[in-house]
Amino acid sequence: MDLVLDFIQTFAAQFQKPTLAFLLGGMLVAALGSKLDVPDAIYRFIVFMLLMRIGINGGMEIRQADLGAILLPAVFAVVIGCVIVLLGRYTLALLPRIKTEDGIATAGLFGAVSASTLAAAMVLMEEDGIVYEAWVPALYPFMDIPALVLAIVLANLYLQRKGGKSDERVRVWPIIAESLRGSALSALLLGLALGLLTKPDRVFEEFYDPLFRGLLSVLMLIMGMEAYARLAELRRVAHWFAVYAVAAPLAHGLLAFALGFVAHVTVGFSPGGVILLAVMAASSSDISGPPTLRAAIPTANPSSYIGASTSIGTPIAIAVGIPLYMALGDIVFGP
Amino acid sequence: MTYKATKITIVSEKLIQSGITRIVEDEGAAGYTVIEGGGKGQHGVRSTDRPKVVGAFGIVKIEVVVADRGVADAIADKVAASYFENYAGIVYLEEVEVLRPKKF
Repeated sequence: MDLVLDFIQTFAAQFQKPTLAFLLGGMLVAALGSKLDVPDAIYRFIVFMLLMRIGINGGMEIRQADLGAILLPAVFAVVIGCVIVLLGRYTLALLPRIKTEDGIATAGLFGAVSASTLAAAMVLMEEDGIVYEAWVPALYPFMDIPALVLAIVLANLYLQRKGGKSDERVRVWPIIAESLRGSALSALLLGLALGLLTKPDRVFEEFYDPLFRGLLSVLMLIMGMEAYARLAELRRVAHWFAVYAVAAPLAHGLLAFALGFVAHVTVGFSPGGVILLAVMAASSSDISGPPTLRAAIPTANPSSYIGASTSIGTPIAIAVGIPLYMALGDIVFGP
Repeated sequence: MTYKATKITIVSEKLIQSGITRIVEDEGAAGYTVIEGGGKGQHGVRSTDRPKVVGAFGIVKIEVVVADRGVADAIADKVAASYFENYAGIVYLEEVEVLRPKKF
């Protein structure tokens, strides 16, 4: 009983944190029809800052890290990304009234990773004093790219079988190149390289790190507004997408938490790292994923996967997923 | 002194802009103009004033002026055949008058 009470308390405390408050505030403001407007360029700059910060910090720490300890969590990240897509392919995509390629594209987006959700988790954990290896957020591409590639391959296989053509092979490399060139991963990889090869300690401590938290609050506001705006789109597609968008982030996060626990026991992966891995799995891509999918699976309806991800998946992952995994971490690893 | 020419206007998703402009150039047009924007159509509202989390989902208007009507038809047909089954978009042609016909 104590355990349950403790869980609920930890959970409730998260809602008073500014990160979640800004997200809910954004939704509220949009629901009331406010004219509040954050320019697109600012949104993109914030995402760049967050990923640069994650990249530089990760790169700086990889310099001293034991590569063996990184390997298993990285492999798990790839496995989780692929399992999420396969789960979606054989549940959501088979449901009645769901176009198979819409279901696969949605699963791909949920397998991919959201930088904003990841950043929100980092700030919330730092507020609680939960430590993690700085390279953990940099595992992002290990989950993101395999998930998008697998979803695109599965969708094309399905469409070919339906169309009766079987000789055309899906070219995987252009999809990977496209993902790496996207704005999110470019910033992350550049940051990693800078952290690894140069000495950016001063600029990191004086610029990227202090601005991280404040910019994240603005980003959360934008995400909240966007989530509300996209709800209207989701209403026009099958209800199963909404059901999936609520259940999937939580299921994916728990699966990743379990795998992360295995890494904790075997290679000493930190409890904070386990929580972050769960958050990555729970998150669904909002920047680089949608255009990649739209270009590679043109017959899939973007309202279904973007609506499911942006309007329900991301708020659930941030507002329910992150507190849930942090509370779970408290119970499993002790406060 | 003005000369007759044809203006092709293509309004479509920004995501496929590079594919469309490639067709325009391959068919022999001398140039084109791209304008980003927003609007409303069968695929819903594309706002210009809301924060666009996914910038690539905006729309663009691509204008091409060519002297030869045949080239204009070829561009319009090819764009429609390549993209409009799966992507949002419209194409329209107009007769226009231009100065300096050598530019087209």
